[in-house]
Amino acid sequence: MIPAPAPPPPVLYSTRPEWSDVEPLQQYEKANPLAPILYSEEYKDATDYLRGIVKAGEKSERVLALTEHVIRLNPAHYSAWQYRYETLLALDAPLDTEVALMDELADKYLKTYQVWHHRRLLLLRRGARAAAAELAFVGRILQRDEKNYHTWAHRQWLLASFNDDVLWGGELDFVDSMMNRDVRNNSAWHHRFFVVFQSGVREGEADRERIVRRELIYVKQNISLAPNNASAWNYLRGVLEYNRLPFSTVAAFVQPYTVLLPEAATDIVDLENPPPGRGAELPCAAAVEFLADVYEEKGGADVQTAVGLWRSLADEHDTIRKKYWEFRIRDALTALQ
Amino acid sequence: MASTMRPVPIDSFPTPTSSTQAETEKVLLQHFPAADSTNATPTLQKNAHMQFLIRNLVQGFPQRYTSQDASQPWLMYWTLQAFSILQVGLDPGNRQKAIDTIMASQHPDGGFGGGPKQAAHLLPTYAAVCVLAIAGKPGPGGGWDEIDRNKMYKFFMSLKQPDGSFLVAHHSEVDVRGIYCLLVTATLLDIITPELVEGTAGFIASCQTYEGGFSSASQPYYAPAPDSDGPPVLLESPRPPLGEAHGGYTFCALASWVMLQPFLPSKSPSQPKINKKSLVRWLVQMQGVPIELGGFKGRTNKLVDGCYSWWVGGAFGLLESIGINPAVVAAEKPDGQAEGDWDDIDDSLLNRKALQEYILYAGQHPAGGLRDKPPKNADSYHTLYCLAGLSSAQHKVFPSPARQKELLDCWIATVDDGDKDTEAKEEALRKRVFTDALSYTEEEGTETIVGGPPNRVNATHPLFNLTITHTEAIMSHFYRQVVPPRIFKRAAAAKT
Repeated sequence: MIPAPAPPPPVLYSTRPEWSDVEPLQQYEKANPLAPILYSEEYKDATDYLRGIVKAGEKSERVLALTEHVIRLNPAHYSAWQYRYETLLALDAPLDTEVALMDELADKYLKTYQVWHHRRLLLLRRGARAAAAELAFVGRILQRDEKNYHTWAHRQWLLASFNDDVLWGGELDFVDSMMNRDVRNNSAWHHRFFVVFQSGVREGEADRERIVRRELIYVKQNISLAPNNASAWNYLRGVLEYNRLPFSTVAAFVQPYTVLLPEAATDIVDLENPPPGRGAELPCAAAVEFLADVYEEKGGADVQTAVGLWRSLADEHDTIRKKYWEFRIRDALTALQ
Repeated sequence: MASTMRPVPIDSFPTPTSSTQAETEKVLLQHFPAADSTNATPTLQKNAHMQFLIRNLVQGFPQRYTSQDASQPWLMYWTLQAFSILQVGLDPGNRQKAIDTIMASQHPDGGFGGGPKQAAHLLPTYAAVCVLAIAGKPGPGGGWDEIDRNKMYKFFMSLKQPDGSFLVAHHSEVDVRGIYCLLVTATLLDIITPELVEGTAGFIASCQTYEGGFSSASQPYYAPAPDSDGPPVLLESPRPPLGEAHGGYTFCALASWVMLQPFLPSKSPSQPKINKKSLVRWLVQMQGVPIELGGFKGRTNKLVDGCYSWWVGGAFGLLESIGINPAVVAAEKPDGQAEGDWDDIDDSLLNRKALQEYILYAGQHPAGGLRDKPPKNADSYHTLYCLAGLSSAQHKVFPSPARQKELLDCWIATVDDGDKDTEAKEEALRKRVFTDALSYTEEEGTETIVGGPPNRVNATHPLFNLTITHTEAIMSHFYRQVVPPRIFKRAAAAKT
């Protein structure tokens, strides 16, 4: 194997004749700053020229090259992004070329705010025609970084912003594909809630009772698969609270998860109440908590049952949150008076 | 202890989340000392952390910090505030250097940038003003009187959006971090007004997710104006959160909510609301179990990380400000309940002891500085937020009504009696903002210090993450007030 040659050292702007008309601008004009960053020569040189360009107000092709250079060295340089955007507008530059570059940069620097926001600015200019391709691109990134906050938020913005039924149409399948990879991916659960409940009513989903039923079955099945999954329990709570349904609606489903796994599994398949799977580690603290909420909600003498469940969480199943469970006990008993 | 060190259940159904979780548990468990070990009493390596911070400050930050070039005021803030928490102040020479360095990032059109000649941005504006709160002073060269507050206010207003939110900078994104930074700055500098924060509380409330925590932002929907010339009308629904509940955003949203309280009409039916019960539940659920050493995570089914010691652990310090007070519930408990069950001075909802253990056992890098989790390197960001989290777990700082009364009694009127009604209203608001912010007081006798007194660090203001002393100094300067000395003790007063 022949080793790849090392990249040539960068040619500094200060040595390039085509940049000799620009006056580079040092960051600090006065004495040495406290806590300086020990930059590379390449970075210092490029940002000196960027400061010079910004001061002169130049907006030209070479500004696109310079800002790209600075962004590659530090993708969080928001001023470089901002100035690049203004330059693109001033030049009326072809945005499709810019998007091709952004596809590469988003892939490389997918944890920075700026790469995603720049895409958003471009999309707002390019309009709805670009949205479907964007959705596909975002999907590819999420395959690689399944919980990337910016990428999920960008997807949600894209859907809400263009609000086109064609775009919304594939979202539940997309959630399923992400959930099949990892049923504990909270970002996917949140996305499902966003799509089903929080962005208006989608095509074919006008019958809300049916939708709630569908979502309850969906989340119950996923709980039965892996009962100790906080994301799924939070979704269950979310669906009930959002639709103003009492927690007791699902009490029969929850109860088997609050006790030790029964020796013999029952043969009766109840789709409404899927039982814990064979590998379940029970009792499940989230189920015990849920059942306590059911009893608290009922009020009266049932509150004492809730107190017993909270006690078991405090002393045995979830000791780290002892103070919180004791707070819940006090709170419920105070409300009883 | 060992018996409670159970792995998080996988239910015989492994996924990428449970695999990384199991790996993390393995690493963390190695950092928990055996019962017979000699380092069973953990020590905060104050000296090593000081050396780490001083090295950055004096020699400079290594080249890998180039990624923070647009966050230079943050580097300075993380370092200086970490000193404050470690009970160390700067010498006059470095203090002046800090002021001069920060002032070089003030933008000619208002606000501060991430470095000199960078565009103004809400995040470095917060960090710069906090550095000035720590290091600055009144008078020429002191920084305080060189902050251009008029231009800063105009800069803030230029970022305002019709849904009550703010861009973090021109052509940039909206998110609740920026709003938090703007509100802290405006509160400290006496430039917060009803005009500035109109609609902002509604925006914050719309970021709360079904899980109870808050997301980065929400998406507004508008209806066309009833008369065709007017601006579009913001719809109350849908207004979906963008992104899931997250520790950093939740802290920023909750602190913003607290700072906005003086500006909310008290009895209006259209007043925005947050779900406090689900918020508390989400916050407590973010604390890791014993095998995670009680550290905090930032999202459901993610890993613990030292920085959430502050963003989530510190958020508990704001609950009393929104009316959640476990101590009051405790005091009202019914007769006949066994006293011994919860008769304990510690009425916090988080496990303060476990959080301190996470920071002490897993958060400290052996070579100095603090970190996300082992085996990661230390950095300035994690050093501050681990220390701030440690501080909030050691001290209980609460909004004291008695302290607020003292401040109100000492208020120096800045408008004459008989002035116009609007001026009187303005004055009342300023008074409320000032006394709300400075009413935070450490409750006597509630320190809980794992490892004993040598591990004690300073208390920090739960809204601003500055010491109470620095907060008082800068606010009394800008509000032109004289703050009375602190003599009040809640422990005594609460029993009456």
